[in-house]
Amino acid sequence: MSRYILMRVLLSIPLLVIISFLTFVLYNLTPSNPAEFVLQAQGVPVITSGLIAETEKALGLDQPFFLRYLKWFISCLQLDFGSSYVTSQPVWSLLGPALLNTFKLTIVSITAIIAVSLLLGIICALRQGRMLDTSVRGIAFLMTSTPSYCLAALLIWYFSVKLDLLPTSGMDSYASYVLPASVITISYAGIYFRIIRSSIISNLNEDYVLYGRACGLSGYTITLHLLRNSLHTALSVFGMAIPVILGSTVVVENLFAWPGLGTLSVRAILSRDFPVIQAYVLVLAAAFVLFNTLSDIMSVMLNPKLRKDL
Amino acid sequence: MLRNRTIMITTIILAMALLAGCSGGSAAESKTVNKVQELVYATSKDINDMNPHLYGGSMPAQGMVYESLVENTQEGIKPLLAESWDISEDGRIYTFHLKKNVKFHDGEPFNADAVTRNIEAVQSNAAKHSWIKLSTKIKSVRAVSEYDVQLELTEPYYPALLELAMTRPYVFLSPKDFENGGTKDGVRGYNGTGPYKLAEHKTDQYAVFEANEHYWGGTPKVKKVTAKVLPAGETTFLALQKGEVNFIFTDDRGADSIDVEAMKQLADTGDYQIVTSEPMNTKLIVANSSKAGSPVQEKAVREALWYSIDRDTIREQIVQGTETTANTLFSTNVNYANVELKQRDYNLDTAGKLLEQAGWTLDAGTGIRSKSGHKLIMKLYYDANSSSQKTQAEFIQSTAKQIGISLELAGEESSSIAKRRASGDYDLLFNQTWGLAYDPQSTISAFTSEASYYHTTRDIIRAGELYKKIDEVMVSRDEAVRKSLYADILQIVHDEALFIPITNGRVTVVAPRSLNGISFKQTQFELPFEQMYFK
Repeated sequence: MSRYILMRVLLSIPLLVIISFLTFVLYNLTPSNPAEFVLQAQGVPVITSGLIAETEKALGLDQPFFLRYLKWFISCLQLDFGSSYVTSQPVWSLLGPALLNTFKLTIVSITAIIAVSLLLGIICALRQGRMLDTSVRGIAFLMTSTPSYCLAALLIWYFSVKLDLLPTSGMDSYASYVLPASVITISYAGIYFRIIRSSIISNLNEDYVLYGRACGLSGYTITLHLLRNSLHTALSVFGMAIPVILGSTVVVENLFAWPGLGTLSVRAILSRDFPVIQAYVLVLAAAFVLFNTLSDIMSVMLNPKLRKDL
Repeated sequence: MLRNRTIMITTIILAMALLAGCSGGSAAESKTVNKVQELVYATSKDINDMNPHLYGGSMPAQGMVYESLVENTQEGIKPLLAESWDISEDGRIYTFHLKKNVKFHDGEPFNADAVTRNIEAVQSNAAKHSWIKLSTKIKSVRAVSEYDVQLELTEPYYPALLELAMTRPYVFLSPKDFENGGTKDGVRGYNGTGPYKLAEHKTDQYAVFEANEHYWGGTPKVKKVTAKVLPAGETTFLALQKGEVNFIFTDDRGADSIDVEAMKQLADTGDYQIVTSEPMNTKLIVANSSKAGSPVQEKAVREALWYSIDRDTIREQIVQGTETTANTLFSTNVNYANVELKQRDYNLDTAGKLLEQAGWTLDAGTGIRSKSGHKLIMKLYYDANSSSQKTQAEFIQSTAKQIGISLELAGEESSSIAKRRASGDYDLLFNQTWGLAYDPQSTISAFTSEASYYHTTRDIIRAGELYKKIDEVMVSRDEAVRKSLYADILQIVHDEALFIPITNGRVTVVAPRSLNGISFKQTQFELPFEQMYFK
């Protein structure tokens, strides 16, 4: 078991190195001169060839590619992603607070998603094929197929403008979390509850349920066993939901003016602030690798069947 | 059974609540708008680095905090931080007599030493400021006395005062904020002399500007101006309805704005007013005279294209009356631009005749004209991020097709378009003039700049004459001569149909109806918040 954990952790290292290399290559593959991007990002009104040469020298862009990559990679390992082309601030001082803000929203949303998905998943599975199950699935289908921006605009209009209950945007108070977290929850809970439901239904047909019933176990006890066994699937699904949400908050954050990773990445992309874009991609990739590894390890720890193959 | 009924009742209650929400029609009452005495404006981007000697910061925000020696007004150059000035006989030495008792926001005195150190800080980063010609002409700056500063130029340069009046870079920051003795490596604080000081800044959230109680021009009546970052237009509109935001304005590129219909809807509530400035710039199509092998090299083709553009329809249908029809490179409110030039109105017959006379014959099969085996096909580049440019390009393409001109449209990033302009790799592209404060001198100087319009102008017959006149006008010290030179320059580029005007952009403000004193500066990048007050 510990060998497996060690292997999974070690495997994630080359993966991250490959990702970092690809991120760096993509930046250098763009047809324009990187020094031009820097000057454009800084809003310099007229970019002359002299200025480009000066910038190349100042930023070390005139050095060989691999040397630049090596320097960049080593400094990234020390959490030094360079300075933003636009604000001249260290990238980490921009990325850190943005990551924290998105993380806060993700935690609130994921808690709501887990609660709603489990609740709806269990209810629908136990009422499989009945009116309640069909209605919930129908509504969930409608909600998940509604684009986030439509849903967000509708919620802001109704709860914020019409009823004057919540702020339209920003991150000023706890109330600010309600609408963006609701949009994320509605968008994802509809997907995840189906997985929980299917998992419970497939367990319902297992012999141990039949045996439990035959033994006269109460419905409550059987449901508890069902939940425990279905939780394996749920765990890996929710484990991966965290990085998925971290990386997909662009629309929600922009609409709700949430100062998180989504807003930061859009701004960086539009202004070609490459140090910020590279750091964003790396951090997200690291989050995906980390949560994927964690979710695999947890699944193995919880499921004895998986341990057999190790 | 009981459970099913409960579910049904809950569903009905929820549906009724939703229906109740949908009914009642009108937008929410803007309860807070009329009560507030502060302005909260929506901005799509953060104010960023407020270093006034670099270009990353928000210009409207910098305009509130920093000031220049002189100010550009409708009546010409007026004193601002300089009370008066003298210009030497040879036009090379400017002596500025500074206002006394002006202090920076941190209490530091504004004096000749501060002016000298600021100008030197700008000059030490000369390469970044080469776009502003004054930066290449400053020989030295020195303090003559505590409140007198002398600026020596290498040669006479008439737009010197105009360029000193711009939002950046020749504005003043407390020397206490300098980093390593200058500003090019960053600054420690943002203390200017302006009517507002930056009180709080939360990156990507908001920036609060408080009235400067010690402002030499009197404390502004609006005590607080907040720039709230709202990247999405939909949210801005809803925030305006709710009253969380109560002020918006467009910049020259239409950014920071909501659409015209939404603006009208807000004004209809009675809580808001819409105020529009005079023309600030000209949006145009640049025709490249030097594109080898392209029909665009021919004056007749450029002129025919000009006649084929229905600018009135573009104004009415595409920009919905927020801009005005442009017939010349500059609108008549631009200095030296009130020149009689031949008007080329939308006329497909004239356009067709021009092409016939130039030997471009129509192929009935393809509907495209050709001459000596070459087809009349040109590529028009537009900014892919501008929905209005795309629509305009498609509309122009459709009318040009009627006279046998085939336009191939290509949407690209604005930086890519700027690169094409600098390398000359284009037939036609969308662009705009520098704007009221900068024109005509900046756009006209750009005719000779390789990073700008050199390729556009270099292959016309009178290119040599044009460049000579541009050189002359910049150093001319005689107003009448300048007028005549500008008239000639504008005549040449107009005759050659190099810059095909479409519309004049303006600044539009949506503000609470109770807000008075809304006016505009001679630039689309700033607003005089200090002159505004609530009734």
